[in-house]
Amino acid sequence: MKIDIKKFGTTLISRPAGKEAWLAFQPTLNEIKSDETIIVDFDGVVVLTPSWADEFLTPLRQKFKEVELINTNNPSVKATLAIL
Amino acid sequence: MDKLLSIGKTAKLIGISIDTLRRWDFSGRLKSIRTGPKGHRFYNKSDIDQFILEIDTVALNWAKSDKPKELDPELYCQTRDIFQARLEKLQSQLSKFTSIEVVSLITAVAGEIGSNSFDHNLGNWSDISGIFFSYSMRNRKVVLADRGQGILKTLKRVRPELANSSEAIKMAFTETISGRYPETRGNGLKFVRSIITKEPFSLTFQTGDAKLYLKKDDIELNIQKIESSIKGCFAVINFEELP
Repeated sequence: MKIDIKKFGTTLISRPAGKEAWLAFQPTLNEIKSDETIIVDFDGVVVLTPSWADEFLTPLRQKFKEVELINTNNPSVKATLAIL
Repeated sequence: MDKLLSIGKTAKLIGISIDTLRRWDFSGRLKSIRTGPKGHRFYNKSDIDQFILEIDTVALNWAKSDKPKELDPELYCQTRDIFQARLEKLQSQLSKFTSIEVVSLITAVAGEIGSNSFDHNLGNWSDISGIFFSYSMRNRKVVLADRGQGILKTLKRVRPELANSSEAIKMAFTETISGRYPETRGNGLKFVRSIITKEPFSLTFQTGDAKLYLKKDDIELNIQKIESSIKGCFAVINFEELP
């Protein structure tokens, strides 16, 4: 399945917002098998920080074996992924 | 002729001591006018009005003062929601004169520093909850401050051996560590450092009696002990090298 991160917002900075995104998305994720490949698409995201990403991407990577990140060219996305 | 203010009145207006004003006069940061038979210090009211308008002065005084003046609501974010909304406004202001790449990075740095203030002080603010957040496009800077606990107190919970704010600020900017153990977190200020040292920006970050100045290509951290201490954190992100 593909997750469009911009559907959670385009300025993604805080931990509570990241955690809320993760919790709100659980019903959708629970329908997916843990061996399915998850594509995370950052297209359209303008600002991302490690605070938001740590609450969403870190548990996502723990829950699914195959997590592929695409459209990661935005500099704040790049800098966040480099440090996460 | 411009209206002149006494040194006492000026100190009160800015929210600092008369001694500090004398030091600033010597150092040239804020020059006085010597007049009268005894050569007392006076200040041009228009100079002081301008000085007060400088947002970093307002923020630092608010962070430092024992009894801070109530902030203009435009400069103050009591909750994260207000901060998020104002940050998005900063983002749109920045995009009027610079590239999406730069907008993205400055907003991310400001967002991470402001979020940190909320993350580490929720329920533990010294007195006033929330943060100072403002920016000046003319002066190419973003300013944030909080009246929270500061980095030393936060990190001492997990690293009791930390002796002072200089050690704490160094640890916060170089190691992955968080005062919110057992949660796994603590990358925020490393992220800030990774951006500032790669881009034509600079950062002044003060907590307690330690002040860090960070700029492009810095490898070592330039941390100084300063005379006047603050409880929380104070940060100025400069991007004056942008056209």
